[in-house]
Amino acid sequence: MSDIHHDSGPTADELIAAEYALGVLSGAERTTAEQRLAREPAFARLVAAWEARLAPLVAEIDEVSPPPEVWDRIAAALSVRRETRSGLWSSLAFWRGFGLVSALAVGCLALVVYFGAPYRGEPLVAAIDGGGHHHFVAMVDAKRGTIAVAPAAFSADASRVPELWLIPSDGKPRPLGILRADRTVTIAVPDDLAALAVSNTVLAVSLEPPGGSSTGQPTGPVIATGKLTNL
Amino acid sequence: MDLDANRSLIVAALARIPGGDRAALQTVYRLTSGKLFGVALRILGERTEAEDVLQETYVTVWQKASAFDATRASPMSWLIAIARNRAIDRLRAAGRNRHMASIETAADIVDPAPGADSALEESEANAKLHICLDTLAERERTALRATFFDGNTYEELAARACVPLGTMKSTIRRALIKLKACLDQ
Repeated sequence: MSDIHHDSGPTADELIAAEYALGVLSGAERTTAEQRLAREPAFARLVAAWEARLAPLVAEIDEVSPPPEVWDRIAAALSVRRETRSGLWSSLAFWRGFGLVSALAVGCLALVVYFGAPYRGEPLVAAIDGGGHHHFVAMVDAKRGTIAVAPAAFSADASRVPELWLIPSDGKPRPLGILRADRTVTIAVPDDLAALAVSNTVLAVSLEPPGGSSTGQPTGPVIATGKLTNL
Repeated sequence: MDLDANRSLIVAALARIPGGDRAALQTVYRLTSGKLFGVALRILGERTEAEDVLQETYVTVWQKASAFDATRASPMSWLIAIARNRAIDRLRAAGRNRHMASIETAADIVDPAPGADSALEESEANAKLHICLDTLAERERTALRATFFDGNTYEELAARACVPLGTMKSTIRRALIKLKACLDQ
């Protein structure tokens, strides 16, 4: 390799970092590189720089949806590790995994997840997840008093419509409006509700008859929830 | 979705994981698992193993999220590296020689249409990488791609290309050096 180790060329470390990031090393060479990665910040930076150089290649690889049980296995692995801040999170994940739950349960859990202080002025976002592939992404614009909700992987059901609910610290769902599976919906949030749209407030989506719930409370299954978070 | 918003959502969610926020990990999973599963599937060629690797990847993300520094690295680069390394570890542990067809088949993936990728925000970086790959000799480019996409070792690459091991090492290293020089311009 004398042709590449000349003075103006890369250091040996640079090459090893590149080879490791590319994935071409094996056996003892790979193990040694991994150990250095953990111990030597300078070497770790070289590897990270190479990972960033090569990462755009994955644009050539198509996305493939993993089966839903993979997430369930990950959630189960986390429970075993007991690294959660609170055991109550486990019940929330468990509950989310099933995706069907009464409005009452939504309320109770909303109380559990509400531990943030009100915060205004920065964009608030929420990823509204339902364990599987039903979900939306919401962004609150406090200045304009609106909430924009984009479908991410929500699939429409012809007989029911997704309705968005705001669940503040009192646990009582407030209707915000009907969402669409095919485009972003921007909803004007009434002033009394805008004051409640703060960090850690829960957003939930339930499936309702066309036109939305007629009772002012979710009547169909709650398929997804998410917390508002400051970006 | 808007790519900047996508990146911001991933970064914001990663930042919440060290505090034990599972919903944040689920957000990262929802936004990135399709791409990472595709990556694992490409290297391992088998769904069950790729699913195991995907699980290991997100458990690693859960454990190592505090090490991610958004000011230094792109979240997708970081996540892709974890998934590729888990997949390569599994490939090496199994001692299997996958993708041992003639090395020319490594080039069988065609470039996607611009904008076809939703999870990767670095379209500019992607364009530059491809320009730089095009400056390499064909055998260098083919060998680099075979390693990146198929997880081949030097020994496997040499066997696939029917060249001595030392020749393959020189080819890959020369390709890496040229690539860096071009990308850093």
